[in-house]
Amino acid sequence: MAILELKKVQKTFGSGKTKVEAMKETDFKAGKGELIAVIGPSGSGKSTFLTIAGGLQTPTNGEVVINGTALSDIKEKKRAKLRLKEVGFVLQASNLVPYLNVAQQMHVLDKVKKGNMGREEAEALYQSLGIEHLLYNFPKDLSGGEKQRVAIAKALYTNPSIILADEPTASLDSDRAFEVMGILKEMTKEKQTATIVVTHDTRLINDCDKVYKITDGKMELHEIMRRTT
Amino acid sequence: MKGKGSGAMFLAWNEIKNNRLRFTLVIGVLMLISYLVFFLSGLANGLEQLNREAVDKWEADGVILTEESDLRLQQSILSTDDFDGAGVDEYTELSQLSAIASNGDKKVNVYIFAVEPDSFMMPNVTEGDNFAGRGEVIADDTLKEDGFKIGDELSLSSTDETLEIVGFTDKARFNAAPVLFTDAETLETLHSRKMTEADEDVVNAFIIRTDNLDDVEAAEALQVVDTETFIENLPGYTEQNLTLTLMIYFLFIISAVVLAIFLYVLTIQKISIFGVMKAQGISSRYLAGSVVAQTFLLSLAGVMIGFVLAVITGLFLPAAVPVAFNYLEMLVYGTVLIVVSIIGAFISVQTIVRIDPLKAIGG
Ligand SMILES: Nc1ncnc2c1ncn2[C@@H]1O[C@H](COP(=O)(O)OP(=O)(O)OP(=O)(O)O)[C@@H](O)[C@H]1O
Ligand SMILES: [Mg+2]
Repeated sequence: MAILELKKVQKTFGSGKTKVEAMKETDFKAGKGELIAVIGPSGSGKSTFLTIAGGLQTPTNGEVVINGTALSDIKEKKRAKLRLKEVGFVLQASNLVPYLNVAQQMHVLDKVKKGNMGREEAEALYQSLGIEHLLYNFPKDLSGGEKQRVAIAKALYTNPSIILADEPTASLDSDRAFEVMGILKEMTKEKQTATIVVTHDTRLINDCDKVYKITDGKMELHEIMRRTT
Repeated sequence: MKGKGSGAMFLAWNEIKNNRLRFTLVIGVLMLISYLVFFLSGLANGLEQLNREAVDKWEADGVILTEESDLRLQQSILSTDDFDGAGVDEYTELSQLSAIASNGDKKVNVYIFAVEPDSFMMPNVTEGDNFAGRGEVIADDTLKEDGFKIGDELSLSSTDETLEIVGFTDKARFNAAPVLFTDAETLETLHSRKMTEADEDVVNAFIIRTDNLDDVEAAEALQVVDTETFIENLPGYTEQNLTLTLMIYFLFIISAVVLAIFLYVLTIQKISIFGVMKAQGISSRYLAGSVVAQTFLLSLAGVMIGFVLAVITGLFLPAAVPVAFNYLEMLVYGTVLIVVSIIGAFISVQTIVRIDPLKAIGG
């Protein structure tokens, strides 16, 4: 079952001479346990796709359906709630709150939402991400890779059904990048999330279930990779 | 301060904890403003008492003066026949004279009040004896701080007559000068010029106690005013009060503006952090709540420290500075300071509501 669906989604910025069609009409589906990579050159529309999929911006035409709810049917307040419940974002730049330590980054989510990971589950998550010894560190005391792993933990902590990662490996060296991709894959399978990873690093796409390529706003299935079991 | 339990406090408190210098500065500014507010309120209060405590002590409801007097005691000259107590529960006559009194060492400006010995205006003696014979007075005990003692002979500026302090009473300052209480005969001898030509007894005012001032029947050309109005018309009283009150109100506005600016700058710096949290789905309401909670903590801390400092300063001030703290009033002012600070925080709340999470996470 598709947990995330884009139906005839199209996005245009500006009008007249400055008009940019950042996303041409696109249909897209992502199901549980699927790890999907989206690649493409800079300016091709990858972030646009991801933010529309996550309900951070509204498409010019078409419809985004998250777990059965059409985003155009609800107001921003509800959309924020839906994001909190269903979507975990992992961003290129660190999305950590500088004045909270690692444990508190998660704790703040408990303040705003119920149904997050329990203690044991969270500890298992920290273990598998290798951050269990960093819980009382503040973001400034973490390396880039550690920050990224904490960001992943944060995205997963709320038990989302969809994980959207925009260049999660951009600030990492290639060993770390592979490691982070590996973790995302593992989590996708374990938690049965639909995970979409935007990247322009083509070396990272080998383990993905599907790979899409965007060129000038046009999104196409790039190559169906062999399913790894 | 734990702040762990409640939702909005969590972010607020952790941010304060991890940016001590920044928030210490904010608290410092608020502390100085509230210190000033508390101090001014103490000063206003002290000056008020300086002017009115003798009148307050009468527990009178009204004063009868002549129409022409413009509510000034010394300008009001009336005959004891002008009022017979119609429509009041109790009344007494007051004659007064202002003078410079000297005990040889020190000169002070004083009011000399002639009161009827059995009346409610008769002061309580806190030290020494009541006045009994001619020339004897009971003095306000603040004169002790100027070196006046029981037994002092006082020479006066306007006459050769002398007075003797036989006792002291407390809380007896009128229009910023200490009062000497005596009887009508003694006061009579002090007047340099006769106030009237006939044998008629002349006084400055009648002080009355009654439930209903409207029922009071006084001769034509007299006016009956309530005590508060009388006090407000003491020379300088209203002007002084108004000035200080205005300063306090300005400080409220200043504290709101200063805090609003501080918080706005802090909020601007946090736009990307807030944006990221909003992208995640954390509501504007929660983030705004944390800013308001933070403002509450900061202003509460600033106001409390300001309060303690003001009270401590009050203890070490020389007696000449008329600071008297009214704790109830300070509580009100402190609350107002906190409330206006929170109002100041609402500019930031608007900013937070308008943050576009998309911009913050920037593609
Ligand atoms: N808010 C906007 N207003 C106008 N044009 C925009 C806006 N956001 C994106 N665009 C344009 O849409 C196109 C796609 O942008 P997008 O950010 O999706 O690219 P991207 O594939 O993520 O690039 P990169 O790899 O550099 O992050 C670009 O041409 C960009 O200039
Ligand atoms: Mg991008």
